[in-house]
Amino acid sequence: MTDQVKVSAAKTAPQKKKKIASLDRKKARAGWIFVLPFVIGLVFIYLPIVWESISYSFYNYTTVDGIVNKEFVGFTHYNTALTGSAQFAQSLLTGLQEMAFDIPAILIFSLFVAVILNQKMVGRAAFRAIFFLPVVVSTGIMESIMSTSYGASGGSLELGTEASATEKLESTMALEVLLASIFEGLGFGTGLVTYISSAVASISNIINRSGVQILIFLAALQSISPAIYESCQIDGATSWETFWKITFPMVSPMILVNAVYTIIDSFTTDSNTVMKVINNMYMNPKSDGRYVSAAMGWMYFLVVLLIVGVVAGIFSAYVFYQRRD
Amino acid sequence: MTNHMDNKPQVMRESKNKIRVDFERTSLKERLKAKYLSSYFAKNVLWYIFRLLLLIGIAFVILKPFYTIVMRSFMEASNFVDDTVVNVPRAFSALIYKSIIVDLEYFKVFFLTLALSLGCALLQTFSCALVGYGLAKFKFRGSKAIFFLVILTLAIPHGTMQSAIFYRFQHLDIFGIFNFLAGGARTGIEGIDAILAKIKILPDTFVGGISTISSVVPILLLSITGLAFKNGLYIFLLRQFFRGVPDELEESAYLDGANTFRTFVQVILPLSVPMLITVFLFAFCWQWTDDFYLQLFFSVNPPQLMSYLPNFNLGDMTTIATIWTQETGSSGKYQQAVLYACGLMACAPLIVLYLFCQRHLVQGIERSGIVG
Repeated sequence: MTDQVKVSAAKTAPQKKKKIASLDRKKARAGWIFVLPFVIGLVFIYLPIVWESISYSFYNYTTVDGIVNKEFVGFTHYNTALTGSAQFAQSLLTGLQEMAFDIPAILIFSLFVAVILNQKMVGRAAFRAIFFLPVVVSTGIMESIMSTSYGASGGSLELGTEASATEKLESTMALEVLLASIFEGLGFGTGLVTYISSAVASISNIINRSGVQILIFLAALQSISPAIYESCQIDGATSWETFWKITFPMVSPMILVNAVYTIIDSFTTDSNTVMKVINNMYMNPKSDGRYVSAAMGWMYFLVVLLIVGVVAGIFSAYVFYQRRD
Repeated sequence: MTNHMDNKPQVMRESKNKIRVDFERTSLKERLKAKYLSSYFAKNVLWYIFRLLLLIGIAFVILKPFYTIVMRSFMEASNFVDDTVVNVPRAFSALIYKSIIVDLEYFKVFFLTLALSLGCALLQTFSCALVGYGLAKFKFRGSKAIFFLVILTLAIPHGTMQSAIFYRFQHLDIFGIFNFLAGGARTGIEGIDAILAKIKILPDTFVGGISTISSVVPILLLSITGLAFKNGLYIFLLRQFFRGVPDELEESAYLDGANTFRTFVQVILPLSVPMLITVFLFAFCWQWTDDFYLQLFFSVNPPQLMSYLPNFNLGDMTTIATIWTQETGSSGKYQQAVLYACGLMACAPLIVLYLFCQRHLVQGIERSGIVG
């Protein structure tokens, strides 16, 4: 009797195992079917585009009698990009400087605003509605209009300033001088003073670019359990302590996400200094304009990727993940 | 505090079924004093005022440009020369709007853009949901690589590849098969080329691939495959959302005999409506205002879409053309006002939509469980 049971068990065991494996395979196949649209697009459209774009930066194309001839030119286009008249290297440095300044400002600002918008108060819905307006409006059309200059005044006119360009310059200069004197009086270093005064000068830019980030931080704040705050309050923690010991660690994964998103977003918008140089190069009537612009673009992409990697590496070392068991 | 606890409450009988109990309470003055003269209350009031001022200030920075644009767009041309006029027009004129609506055929532009944006946004939402679900719920070899590629499509600046994108869609082909079947393939060796040229399975228009430029095909193809503007972000958001959906739901659906696709459509999609609305709103708005892809694909013969509104042809604007040319010599403020008015009119439907749907925008993200 027992032998028979054993035999039947031995018979069914491998069958069972096989069935589980096939379910896994079935699920894997279903997964592939779900991502199929993207994979098809990737293989047939996106990767060929990437490949072509990379090859633009290494080849010269000439069309003779309807036949396209490729001529390998090595790093010539890269050389032209770096040493040519377009001042690519210089604008890259400027762009990196701008980024080093903008990204911390955007992150700090959006976290601060998200914390405030998360508190209960009168008119919270209205404020939220206003604060996310730039997400909807200030990309694409509006962005490109704002960066076009018009008429005889020259330079891009900042929206919302009623003063002429010179007046505006004077007023911001006055503000910067005032701020500098205040902060120097308080005994801060000049580095911090220039940072803060230029942050104030570009506040409108920073506000308009932090919509999505505020949204993501707000979602993160909403997901923190109120019970944690309650127990903190009972233990007598001040709100300052609560912020640094509870809120900050809990939203730190989203700080990483937002940092990466902000870097990518500010690097790839058309109003970026480097992107402007690349676009100008592309529009250049010179025959090798678009090849050089492709070379520039790929160098730029590598720089961006490197920065994203470094930032993500540094941040992820300090990110706190709550264990949910 | 202890004082009135010790006092016994006074009980008085007012009528047969009614008694009145009087506690001796701290006087109103004392109570108000304790409540409003504490440092706690002062701190709260200060914080409240500071917060309100800050929020109003930020809201001002966001809304000010719109205020300026609206006000200036209603000014008469003479107001721009007058230095005493800043933002409030001295003489009203709706000529700019008349010009935009009549000369540029605003409503036609509106419906064309609506159709395109709606179609693209729906396609993008659906395909991003599919991909996001596949990446969130199924473990298969290569899923991590695909997720990495999704993020990579976000990170590669599309401006870098514009000539390649243009070329790709001008000569749309599947690894040269169309070109080959139409007899357009060349190797450079004469004998083989002569044979290749004789293949005429497909008509001559297929030589060098199909040109899809100046049609909606490229933008639709990009939308279906989840490669259009910022689609990587949508896939990421939806993946995070679907990861938060408990597996038990699907397991019970499988037990009831539904296959994965049916489970997705009938169980998962209905419960993720808030998130889908959020993604749809993003997709719709960003498609509406997108000018990069549209200007690339319609560089030859642009249709009337919202993103071309600011790039108007002065010859079309018959209502204001004379004023425009007269004012060219001055500071260019008038031209700027016209341009901004065009931008505002292009975004106006979005602002209206946003006012109705902004709650969904926040709710979807809040419920996404994007953390984790």
